[in-house]
Amino acid sequence: MDDSRTARLIQVLLRCYPARWRRRHGDEAAELAALLIGDGTPPGSIAWSYLAGAAREWLTPRPGRRLSTVACALLAATCVLGVSAGLLASAGPARAASTSQPSPRAHCRPGSPEVIPAQGRSQVITGVAGHGRSC
Amino acid sequence: MAVGRRDGRAGQDVLRRAGEASVLILISLADGPKHGYALIQDIKELADVELGPGTLYGALDRLERLGLIEPLPAEDRRHPYRITAPGAAALRVHLDSAERVSAAGRLRLQLGGI
Repeated sequence: MDDSRTARLIQVLLRCYPARWRRRHGDEAAELAALLIGDGTPPGSIAWSYLAGAAREWLTPRPGRRLSTVACALLAATCVLGVSAGLLASAGPARAASTSQPSPRAHCRPGSPEVIPAQGRSQVITGVAGHGRSC
Repeated sequence: MAVGRRDGRAGQDVLRRAGEASVLILISLADGPKHGYALIQDIKELADVELGPGTLYGALDRLERLGLIEPLPAEDRRHPYRITAPGAAALRVHLDSAERVSAAGRLRLQLGGI
């Protein structure tokens, strides 16, 4: 990575810090990164250190920052991860079912309700991946 | 005195949970004020530890909040820091504690014949 790209990357990473931190350390931090790179420190390790530091700055509760802000950030991150994992998990079996049954009939499609007469009244069963009987 | 207010007990090792970086910064500042780059260089020489700049600024902020170090007027873009009296006291307590643990460890190794 050339010097100008490294400097730009460091500037971008320093912008990830809270404004209060940037006002206090921003200029010195950019100069320090340049000095360390000049000494032979790998730019990647400096970038990683600033990235981890920025995350720590945001996630560490401060007297001036309400705990609820930190909690909201953590909750949002957890929700995004949870929803993504849920979508991936549900897409897997559905895709597998659709590939194993190339042209399923309407009542065999995953998720379609199946009506089974039981004990004199109709019982509706909704299957996620079809009902298992041959169609 | 920030340390006294926070721990409420004189002689308690407030640096026990502060992390290695904080202790190394205090040791480095013990012989005079330094700015970020000088701290990193000194700690590398002193302990063979390469402190990342993100870790350095996090530890400096934490130590300043605890009242263990204080910033001096900026020189150009660099902000030197110096150890405070409570910082020196906290470092002494921590080093004494580490020395006791170290001595006990050496003694046990000797007794164990390892």
